[in-house]
Amino acid sequence: MTAQLPASGPDLEFQTHVEDGRLWLQTCEACDRAIFMPRIICPHCGSLRLAWHPASGLGTVYSRTVLYGRPKPGDTRPTRHALVLVDLDDGPRMMSRLPDTDPDDIVIGMRVKARIEGETGAHVVVFDPAGEANA
Amino acid sequence: MTTRLRGKAAIVGVGTAGLGEAPGFNAMDIQALAVHEALEDSGLKLSDVDGLFTANMSHTFPAISTIEYLGLKPRWIDGTNTGGSSFVAHALSATMALEAGLCDVALICYGATLRSDAGRMTPAAEQPTYEIPHRPRYPMTAYAMAAATHMARFGTTRAQLAEVAVAARAWARMNPEAFERDPLSIEDVLSSRMVMEPLSLRDCCLLTDGAGAVVMTRADRARDLPNKPVYFLGGGIASYNRAVSEMPDLTTTAARDSGERAFAMAGLKPEDMNVLQLYDAFTINVILFLEDLGFCPKGEGGAFVSGGRIAPGGPLPVNTNGGGLSFCHPGMYGVFTLIEATRQLRGTAGERQIADAETALCHGNGITLSHQATAIFGTAAAL
Repeated sequence: MTAQLPASGPDLEFQTHVEDGRLWLQTCEACDRAIFMPRIICPHCGSLRLAWHPASGLGTVYSRTVLYGRPKPGDTRPTRHALVLVDLDDGPRMMSRLPDTDPDDIVIGMRVKARIEGETGAHVVVFDPAGEANA
Repeated sequence: MTTRLRGKAAIVGVGTAGLGEAPGFNAMDIQALAVHEALEDSGLKLSDVDGLFTANMSHTFPAISTIEYLGLKPRWIDGTNTGGSSFVAHALSATMALEAGLCDVALICYGATLRSDAGRMTPAAEQPTYEIPHRPRYPMTAYAMAAATHMARFGTTRAQLAEVAVAARAWARMNPEAFERDPLSIEDVLSSRMVMEPLSLRDCCLLTDGAGAVVMTRADRARDLPNKPVYFLGGGIASYNRAVSEMPDLTTTAARDSGERAFAMAGLKPEDMNVLQLYDAFTINVILFLEDLGFCPKGEGGAFVSGGRIAPGGPLPVNTNGGGLSFCHPGMYGVFTLIEATRQLRGTAGERQIADAETALCHGNGITLSHQATAIFGTAAAL
């Protein structure tokens, strides 16, 4: 017995789906859990029945950190680069960043919403503050 | 019946070389010197070695390159690479291979020249695909996020993290081989350059050259060798994830499982341990591992390390060589936990010797909180 390959691989499928600007996630049709990073097998139950669905993209910042780069010549302050882990309402957690938000305004527990950034074939998921009342 | 391995093998030789800076030498050169040192210490010869346990980040095939360089012809090779935890895990595999008769003399070794080469970590070839576009800086980003989560959830403070670095430095000041031996205060740590919130420069380990080697053999043969045998009493490993984004809970590591397995095999409890060697790549590591290994409840690690409790003179000696924070950290630190535990259990740790140490726990951590290995050792009195 040899396994049959699907029509295309998970990384390529991810890039194709998010072309429409929305976050898409795989959901396991056997155990009903959404997963990220994209995979060919469900890490929760081992099923190969993973289907792509658009996700709400809403989530909560689970952790955050800020990298301080050494100041470049002429700069008075170090460059800062904030990274977050986001727990999506849809289930999985992902590493990302909030490109348009000041690092000091990013706090653990804040509500965020995903958007897709980057070139065709190299899309990435980034976040903006969701601005919900229950933030 | 995992207790089948308890007391069946012992560390009989340890050696180090090129600690700190070894310009002009490569990783295999200083590793060979550490191996020579460990064999001299054990009373065995290079030609006696028939089991090799090694891993590194500079070679695609570390075990094969090592046998060629040393001229070994091993009957058994284990090149399992789980990052810096590899060597603590190797102590368990070596005991297994020795007990099974797959080899008679097991060599565990590591060498790296990160400081002399580039002055930074060599990135692993394989990186988490969906994290890398966001430009994390590994390994630091993972530990900073763990620290941030621990602080947010349990109220752990930067001053409590600093206690870990200050304790490590106080031990290093009693270790002539330690790389950083200047006095260090809580204020020094808090005011050092912020590198990755909430971790400042002094929350992060050194980046040095260095090599370490450990020789193990079966307990019966160990008793005929010159040094007091340091018996393997129990070991365990655990791993759930590679990427930090896949870690189920950033405030609880797989050390909870590796530790439980090691204690079960050893038939001992945390309160039975006289000295701990915990992989301290960052200050948060020690707090996480003290909690996960059962030395204090989850969330209380910050308070637990405060007031010098793990420092010289405190009731629970941790990282008596100065650790990765002040002694030496050539990328993968785990082998040095075995070496310092051995010196403490032999009673040869000089000024930093813990009186009457009969038991020691070594804990290795690999990659970005991705793999955990625990090993417990003891003197003949602990058998």
